[in-house]
Amino acid sequence: MEKSERIAIVVLILILVGLPAAILGYQFVLRPRLADVRTIDILAAAPETGGFQPDSIRVAAGETVRLRFSVPDVAHGIAIGPGLNLDLGQVDPGEVREVEVTFDQPGRYVYYCNTWCSPSHWRMRGVIEVYDPADPDALVIGESSLDPVLESLAAREVDIDAPHEAQAVPARRPSVGQGAEVVARLGDGLPDGLADAAWRRAHSPAEAWASLVEVGLSEAEAWDAVAHLWLGGVDAARLQDAATLYAKNCAACHGENGDGQGPGADALEAQGMGQHDDIDMVGGPAAFAEPYTMLGGAGDVYYAKLRRGGMGTGMPSFGVIFTPEETWMLVDYLWTFVFEVE
Amino acid sequence: MTGRRIELTRSRRLRALLKQRALQPALMLFFLFFFVVALLSGLVGTPAGSHNFGMIFVWIVWWALLIIFLVPFLGRAWCAVCPLPAPGEWLQRRAIVRRTPGKPRSLGWRWPRRLRNIWLQNFGFLGVALFSTIILTRPYVTAWALLGMMFLAVLLSVFFRNRVFCRYVCPVGGFIGLYALTSSFELRVKNRQVCKDHAVKECVVGNECGYGCPWMVFPGNLERNAYCGLCTECFKTCSKDNVALYVRPFGADLLVRKGRRLDEAFKALIMLACAIIYNAVLLGPRGWVKDWANMETLPHWAAYGAGFLTANLLVMPGLFMLTTFAARAASRTRAPLKRLFVDYAYSLVPMGLAGWIAFCFSFVFVNGSYAISVLSDPFGWGWNLFGTRSVPWTPVLLDLALALQVGTLLAGMAFSIVVAYRIVRQHAETNAQAWRGTLPLAGFLTGVTLVFLRLYVG
Repeated sequence: MEKSERIAIVVLILILVGLPAAILGYQFVLRPRLADVRTIDILAAAPETGGFQPDSIRVAAGETVRLRFSVPDVAHGIAIGPGLNLDLGQVDPGEVREVEVTFDQPGRYVYYCNTWCSPSHWRMRGVIEVYDPADPDALVIGESSLDPVLESLAAREVDIDAPHEAQAVPARRPSVGQGAEVVARLGDGLPDGLADAAWRRAHSPAEAWASLVEVGLSEAEAWDAVAHLWLGGVDAARLQDAATLYAKNCAACHGENGDGQGPGADALEAQGMGQHDDIDMVGGPAAFAEPYTMLGGAGDVYYAKLRRGGMGTGMPSFGVIFTPEETWMLVDYLWTFVFEVE
Repeated sequence: MTGRRIELTRSRRLRALLKQRALQPALMLFFLFFFVVALLSGLVGTPAGSHNFGMIFVWIVWWALLIIFLVPFLGRAWCAVCPLPAPGEWLQRRAIVRRTPGKPRSLGWRWPRRLRNIWLQNFGFLGVALFSTIILTRPYVTAWALLGMMFLAVLLSVFFRNRVFCRYVCPVGGFIGLYALTSSFELRVKNRQVCKDHAVKECVVGNECGYGCPWMVFPGNLERNAYCGLCTECFKTCSKDNVALYVRPFGADLLVRKGRRLDEAFKALIMLACAIIYNAVLLGPRGWVKDWANMETLPHWAAYGAGFLTANLLVMPGLFMLTTFAARAASRTRAPLKRLFVDYAYSLVPMGLAGWIAFCFSFVFVNGSYAISVLSDPFGWGWNLFGTRSVPWTPVLLDLALALQVGTLLAGMAFSIVVAYRIVRQHAETNAQAWRGTLPLAGFLTGVTLVFLRLYVG
């Protein structure tokens, strides 16, 4: 056989057999072994086509792993919580984004999409179960399942799904700045409890307004004072961080302006989901900019709804994603839809 | 279109290279390498087309190179190096490089006479085009389509001798052959008399230096590029050294009367209609059409398919038949309408090619940059072979692209009108009659150009 023929046959075999074997062998055998840390490949697809695959992984506490997310379909925003401050940002179709992470303590974490990606976007989540290497079979419990605020609401038998209409609403948007002057003028005349942050979290602005009117303030002055009491002590940086969280996680359904008209609202309606106004009616996502409903609710109820999710409404549980502090930040931010912050 | 030709094979080095048996297999193996990578990326790589080697390098890089450069300047050169028929041909020859004694092995079936045309290629192309939105957006579909074509090529090579797949079946080869008529490149014999006087047609039956023409063409009679696959076997077998490569004016073959057939005429019409439909569906603002073509629902796709086939097989041929009728009347030509329909259809070839080139410009400048990142990460697995994985998608020279599209379309229209006049003149008795006969054809071509321009410019 001629030398050129032998060379050609060898090259042909290398192309047809060697090349695929080399590519697949490297990717699926050699590459994982050569990696300095364990790498977990996660496909991040829209929920309609499978969502995160795999949608649950197990990692030992203290183990450093590389999570490699690849996106096959549409842009997704990938983040991991709670409390890890891991936001990989928007990942476009075909992109691969990876992050190395070490989970120090056993617990449950969630990787989730925070960019509106499909009608079922809110379902796009996966669970990281971090187990104790000394006791791998022990039940892993997430932090969100032990929440004192939710326990307190339960103890007070507060129905967080009950309607909470305000008895009165302001004629104009209450001003935090003008409210500061009103509160300063009142001084010690401020009704009991209103100066206490814990009281304010457990009561609605409408309740506070009623007690302020009782001490002689005009309706408008009372609303300004409530605005100040609720938001005057919240610094701008906290609200800015909360605004980012809201934009990424809430605006898709509730709207950038809190009007309940985000792009996901129609999708939820099409899926037969939405806020339960009463037994027979299904409404859209809550409109935070609507004073009638917003001002009648207490902060801890909103906190609870955020963390638990809205039963059957399409509102996902954010307790597995946000820390309690992040949740309170969000609750603070919700008030900015009804109160004017200068 | 007619004029001086320059013989490239006067170069001794080029002649020596073309006579090398290893030349074609080496090029085929080179492209087979990329073909296998493209297949693997489709089968196991990322489903995101923009980061998949197969999608980017088949449907952007290769397709654009084929349409913008290879076909206009090198005719069927791609057919010479295409890896699809390679395994089948090597099996027939029981060799890759060397010349094995005797004829290539197969079961020796005869290709049906009724199918010795490009009708199968016409319908094959329509079939692929019907699913093109699906093929173009799903890497695994592309991979299976390519694998299927290679399998079919191998299967046919078992039953039939030579390149039956390339000549009569390959849906890509059909339009490459038609548009190669416009090419500025040709393989021809230097002196036909030498071939006539040479009793042993070595280029047909083969000799110890090479195989008989796998494309079943007699180079001594070759007047058109349509069915010469530029495999260079005739360079190797011709003991008279009578085969040459030439550079020639564009479109010379369009004026060759011999060989014009209804199947080729329909190919010209189908390609023109498809160019318009592709532009409208894939690039136009009507997302719902794309959804229908993308099989959003089966009834929608069926409606799209019905419209697509109607446009290709009824509307475009029907309009052209009316145009031919008008041209015949205007030029007072007595030739049968069918004859004129076929002949005049060749005037659509430059326009069709221009439409496809313009279509390529629309995505090359917009999406070409994906090729840089895909080279480093061909499977979307996070590889970074050449350090270019993170090169962002960057549309470039969009203004230039639009100018090139408009310029190409206008040039294609002008070229087509000139060809139309010359073809009409072949039937008309006087120049004046030819000009009058050209008017309806020029009107048809202008209308087609305006449709294209509306799609690009709005």
